[in-house]
Amino acid sequence: MSSILTYIAISEGKIKRSSLEVLSRSKAIADANGLACEAIIIDENASSFTDSVQNYGASKIHIVEDSIFSQHRNTPLLSALSKVMEASKPKVVAFASTEGTKDILGALAANQKAGVVADVSSFDLTSSGVIAKRPVMAAKVVGNVEVTGETILVSVRSGSYELVESPITAEVNTIEFSSSESDLKAKLREIISATGDTIDLNEAETIVAAGRGVKDEEAKSLITELARVLNAGIGASRALTEAGVYDPSLQIGQTGKVVSPQLYIAVGISGAIQHVAGMANSKVIVAINKDADAPIFEVADYGIVGDLYKVLPPFIEELKKLKS
Amino acid sequence: MKFYVCIKMVPDVYAPFQIKDGELIMDADRMVLNAYDASAVEEALVLSEKHGGEVEVVCIGSAKASETIRKALAMGADKGSHIVTTGDEGFDSGSYANILTAFLKDKEYDVLSLGKQSQDTDSGLTGSMVAELLHLPYTTNAVGLEIENGNLIVKRQGDTGQEIIELPTPCAVTCSNDMNEPRIPNLKGIMASKRKPIDTIDLASLGISESDLSPNSKVVSFEHKPARKAGQKFEGEADEIAREVAQLLDTEANVI
Repeated sequence: MSSILTYIAISEGKIKRSSLEVLSRSKAIADANGLACEAIIIDENASSFTDSVQNYGASKIHIVEDSIFSQHRNTPLLSALSKVMEASKPKVVAFASTEGTKDILGALAANQKAGVVADVSSFDLTSSGVIAKRPVMAAKVVGNVEVTGETILVSVRSGSYELVESPITAEVNTIEFSSSESDLKAKLREIISATGDTIDLNEAETIVAAGRGVKDEEAKSLITELARVLNAGIGASRALTEAGVYDPSLQIGQTGKVVSPQLYIAVGISGAIQHVAGMANSKVIVAINKDADAPIFEVADYGIVGDLYKVLPPFIEELKKLKS
Repeated sequence: MKFYVCIKMVPDVYAPFQIKDGELIMDADRMVLNAYDASAVEEALVLSEKHGGEVEVVCIGSAKASETIRKALAMGADKGSHIVTTGDEGFDSGSYANILTAFLKDKEYDVLSLGKQSQDTDSGLTGSMVAELLHLPYTTNAVGLEIENGNLIVKRQGDTGQEIIELPTPCAVTCSNDMNEPRIPNLKGIMASKRKPIDTIDLASLGISESDLSPNSKVVSFEHKPARKAGQKFEGEADEIAREVAQLLDTEANVI
C-alpha cells in the first residue's frame, strides 16, 4: 500500500506539537484515500517518542537514531530522510514548517526528484498529486497550488490543523544509520540560545508580543508579567529585535516566526504588514496601542486604545483574578 | 574570495493589486530587487571590501530584469550575468534551481549566496536545491557572515537559537534580511554601474532539458485572504477598558 509519511520534528528533547498537527492531517488524508499513515522520527533518542506518535494514528514508525542528531545538522538529516524515502517510496512526505525543515526541504526535493510545496496553510490529495493553499504577496493573497510528481513534499505552517488523537499500535522499523561529525563538511561550532527557558513561540497557546511602544525596562517588565500570568510565549516586532531589546529568535513576522496561537496580545505594535503576515491567523487578537489609527486595530478582535503603561497594570490585575 | 550572488526581480509586494477571476493583477508594473537578495549582495560587498575579492551577480528573468542587475552593480557588484527568459514560462523553484545549476556548474567561486526566499512567493526552496544539485556544503537563513582562515562562518537563525556553522569553500548560503541594511546606490555607484559588464545568456545555450525546466508546481488561482471579522475597539478610561477586555477574553472569547 502506498503511504503518506510524516516527519516528526524533535527539538530540545520534545516533539514539536506542529508536527503532530501535520500527522493528524496526514492520518485524515490517509484514511480518506486508502493510504498507509506512516511517520519518521530522526533523533538521538528517536525510539523514546514512538508511544506519543502512534497515539496520532501512525501505523508504521521509521526510527533513525544516532547521536549526530542531538542538534540540527542538514547533511545527516538529508541522508536519513533520503534513505527512508528510497526504502518506503511514499506518495507524500509531510513536514511541519520549522527552521529545520526549511533548511532541507529544497535539497531533499532536488535529491529525490520530488515535487514540493512549502509553507502551506492547507493541503489535500488529488488524482494527479497535491493541491495546497499558501499565503503569498506578504500574506495578503492566498495562492492555490497544484503539485505533481511521484513523490511530493509538503511543509505545513504551525496551527493550520487541530490535533486529533487516534491511538493505534504501530510497527516500528529501525533504520541502520551512522554518521560521524568528522565526516561532515559543515561544522556546527555552537548554538547560542539566548531564549533560555522561555516558551517556544510555534508551540505557545498564548503569545504576548511587544512592539516599538515597549521602549524601557518598565514596559518590558509589564510584558514579562503579562506573559507570566497567561503562561504565554513572548514575541517581538522587528523594530525591537533589531534594536536589541529582544532576542532575534523572538521576531514575529514575514521574516521571523509565523505563529497562530489561540490568543495573541500585541502591545505597542503598529501592525506593519510584515508583522501582520506573521500573526494574522491567530484565533483571537488583542491590540493595545495609544494610536487609535494604528493598522493593528484592523486585524484585532479586541482593540484597546490607550497608553500601555496605564492599560497593562489593570489588565494584568484583572487577568490574575480570572485565573485564580 | 569570489562571491556569486543569485538575484531575482520580483513584484513590489506593497504595490496595489486586484484579483480578477482567480488571476492576480498588479496595478502598476513595479518590479524590485528581492529584499533578501539585496541583503545577500550587501553582505558579499561588505566581506569583499574587508577581505578583498569580487562579487558577481546572476539573474534569471525577462529583458526588464537587466534593471535589477544594474541596481546590484550600482550597489557595488563587479559584474552581472543575465539569463534571459520571457518571464511567462511559469517556472517554479525547481526550474530556477536547474537553470542556476546549469549556469554555475563550470564557474569558479568560493561562496554562492542567495536570498533565503523571494518576497512575493516566500517559498525558500531554490537555495538549498542549488546547493544540493551542485554538491556544495550549505546552510540557510544566515543572519551574519564572517570569513575566518578561508572558511565562511555563518550565524544561522535556527529553531533553538543561533547556530554558528563553519563551511569550507566552495559553499552556498541563503541570507535573511535581518543581517544588514542594504546600501542605497549613490550617484557615483549608479554612474559606475553603466560601465560594468552584463553578459546576456540565452536559456537554450545552457543546454537544459525540457523536463528540467517544466515546473512540478503551478499556482492555478489566487484568492483574497479571508478577511478577519471587524473587532471591537475600546476607547476611554484605561483602567475601565482594560478590565472590560480582560473579562471579555474570559466570558466571550473563552481563551483565558
